[in-house]
Amino acid sequence: MKDWGRMDTPSPSIRDLALRLLAASQTASAPHGHEAVLVSEKLRISLTRFAGADGFASLLRRALVLASADLPSLQSVEIGADGCLEGFERLDANTGTGAGGREAAVAVTARLLELLVTFIGESLTLRLVHEAWPDTPLGRGDE
Amino acid sequence: MSTKGKGQGKVQGKDQVTIRQLPTGVPGLDEILCGGLPEYSFNIIAGAPGSGKTTLAHQIMFANASPKTPALYFTVLGEPAIKMLRYQQQFTFFGQAKMDGAIRFVNLSQLVLEDDLGAVLDAIVKEVEACKAHIVVVDSFRTVVRKALNNANELELQGFVQRLALHLTSLQATTFLIGEYVEGELRDNPVFTVADGLFWLYQSVERNSIVRKLQVMKMRGQASVPGLHTFRITDAGLHTFPRTFGLTDNKSDHVKGRRRLSTGVRELDALMDGGIPEGDSLLVAGPSGAGKTVLGIQFIAEGVVRGEPGIVAMFEELPDEFMQRAASFGFDLDKNIKDGSLKLIYLRPLDLSVDETVHEIVNAVKEIGCKRLVIDSLVGFEMALAPDFRTDFRESLYRMIGALTRLGVTIMSTVEVEENFTSMGLSNFTISFLADDILRLRYASINGQLRKVMMVVKMRRSKHSIDMCAYEVSSKGLVIGEPLRGYRALTSGIPGPWSLEAGQSLPELQTDRPPGPRKESPRRKKPRKKNSESRAR
Repeated sequence: MKDWGRMDTPSPSIRDLALRLLAASQTASAPHGHEAVLVSEKLRISLTRFAGADGFASLLRRALVLASADLPSLQSVEIGADGCLEGFERLDANTGTGAGGREAAVAVTARLLELLVTFIGESLTLRLVHEAWPDTPLGRGDE
Repeated sequence: MSTKGKGQGKVQGKDQVTIRQLPTGVPGLDEILCGGLPEYSFNIIAGAPGSGKTTLAHQIMFANASPKTPALYFTVLGEPAIKMLRYQQQFTFFGQAKMDGAIRFVNLSQLVLEDDLGAVLDAIVKEVEACKAHIVVVDSFRTVVRKALNNANELELQGFVQRLALHLTSLQATTFLIGEYVEGELRDNPVFTVADGLFWLYQSVERNSIVRKLQVMKMRGQASVPGLHTFRITDAGLHTFPRTFGLTDNKSDHVKGRRRLSTGVRELDALMDGGIPEGDSLLVAGPSGAGKTVLGIQFIAEGVVRGEPGIVAMFEELPDEFMQRAASFGFDLDKNIKDGSLKLIYLRPLDLSVDETVHEIVNAVKEIGCKRLVIDSLVGFEMALAPDFRTDFRESLYRMIGALTRLGVTIMSTVEVEENFTSMGLSNFTISFLADDILRLRYASINGQLRKVMMVVKMRRSKHSIDMCAYEVSSKGLVIGEPLRGYRALTSGIPGPWSLEAGQSLPELQTDRPPGPRKESPRRKKPRKKNSESRAR
């Protein structure tokens, strides 16, 4: 995970972590919800507690802007007043396969994790993630 | 009321409650608090922005938090939590492992913005109960108070603070409320009234130096060391330098003057009735080039030969220069540096506090079991201090010398005095009262030569020679010659013959013999009485 924290593109390790979280969210709790929304919601609960609702919303907004630069389809996704992602369902509907929505989910989640790593470091980020997903292996000794 | 920190309690009597003390994790602060923080106390950490309040709270929290004794850190409209974590993790005390449940951060900003004091109180109590927190920090509590004062009266605020203190104490939490306050707000402030402990952090800039000081203004249930204690913020967080120099537990069994320490110059030892009384503070005052540092080298070198470890605290020369100078006089001190019997401390940052300096010296004294200390020089020492500390120089020197001599260390301090030919000053600091013994070196114009003259001005509790002797700085150090006889006004530096009016000429006036080993004058029939009667006070 040497290249964690770079702002150009999320590193493979961050993408891998994002994929794990998305997979865990898909299988574990609500099979009907979009995994990106579920991941974001779990992180929102965990992060809002210590960073405040505004703190989380500003991070998520920045993550969405960065991800939109890679995937223009994300420009239709918005952040609601409560800090939730809105509009992911439309991405799936547009492609008809769900693949576009999945790629967008990875991009947003990876960017959000990348921002956290940039600000508070890899170790604390993994600890926060672990709080939200205590049963999900996160790699690196499952922090 | 003395006790050890680190979670030890203090029992004052069989009927009194035991107040356990928590370690602060801040070097020196437990000593200032006479052991540590009273458990379950309700404390305020106050000070201006940038004074180190948040860092102090974090340090205390990280020192005490564990999975069994978790800590809760409430952030309120102050530094955003993400940025706070970003910066605080740079400190070495920030143990990331403690973020796994031992320490939790909770943001109350929205609640404070949108709700009343009752809701804030409920939220804090609920979180503390759920987490079973032992340490609680609210940062910044000032914003809670400011909001409250806009919407409630002072009585309601006092009620809120009192209920908060009551609940958190009942929940067995030790609490720290952080606030940006100025001293003028101390009066009639309900927050300060309710608080058990009040820590005030100061930061001032004078010229180009930053001076940080901490004061424990209030601490219920236990004593604390009064006054302002300097502190520094380093990579390791706050480091305080108690005015007690870490010597509160030292019960000195040292008796001053039990034996004499050789200066390394035999003839000078004779002038001092056998040497410097052990545990004394000797001031060597003289102009530039008089040989003060050389005498310091000889004193230290003599000590290490006799198995008495030494320290040289230097403020003017670099250690390498000192070693070269020592070598030029035939003293190879390298081996003593290597075997730990000699330590050179070079202190020359421009914002030192005396307390910080003394802590450095005291630590070194304890480390090597130092018996001899040379401070070269007091003038350089003063220059190394931040301007704010220079005004307290004499008072600080007094505490420093007292602290070090209580450890049984014999101190030789050099001080450069501006030479004039009308009077004989002892130092520019009016600090001679701090010295047990004073040796004055000066120049005198004799027979067209600028000669060096030495005299023992004072030795507390001891007799000493009243002779004024010529001396030279040779390749082997100070060489003391015969007492200068037949002059008047030698102390002025421009002596004349005692009997000039009578037209007599004395041999001493005519000689241009340089100083050498002392010998009895052939003119004397009777042995010269070397020492005066005791001039001890």
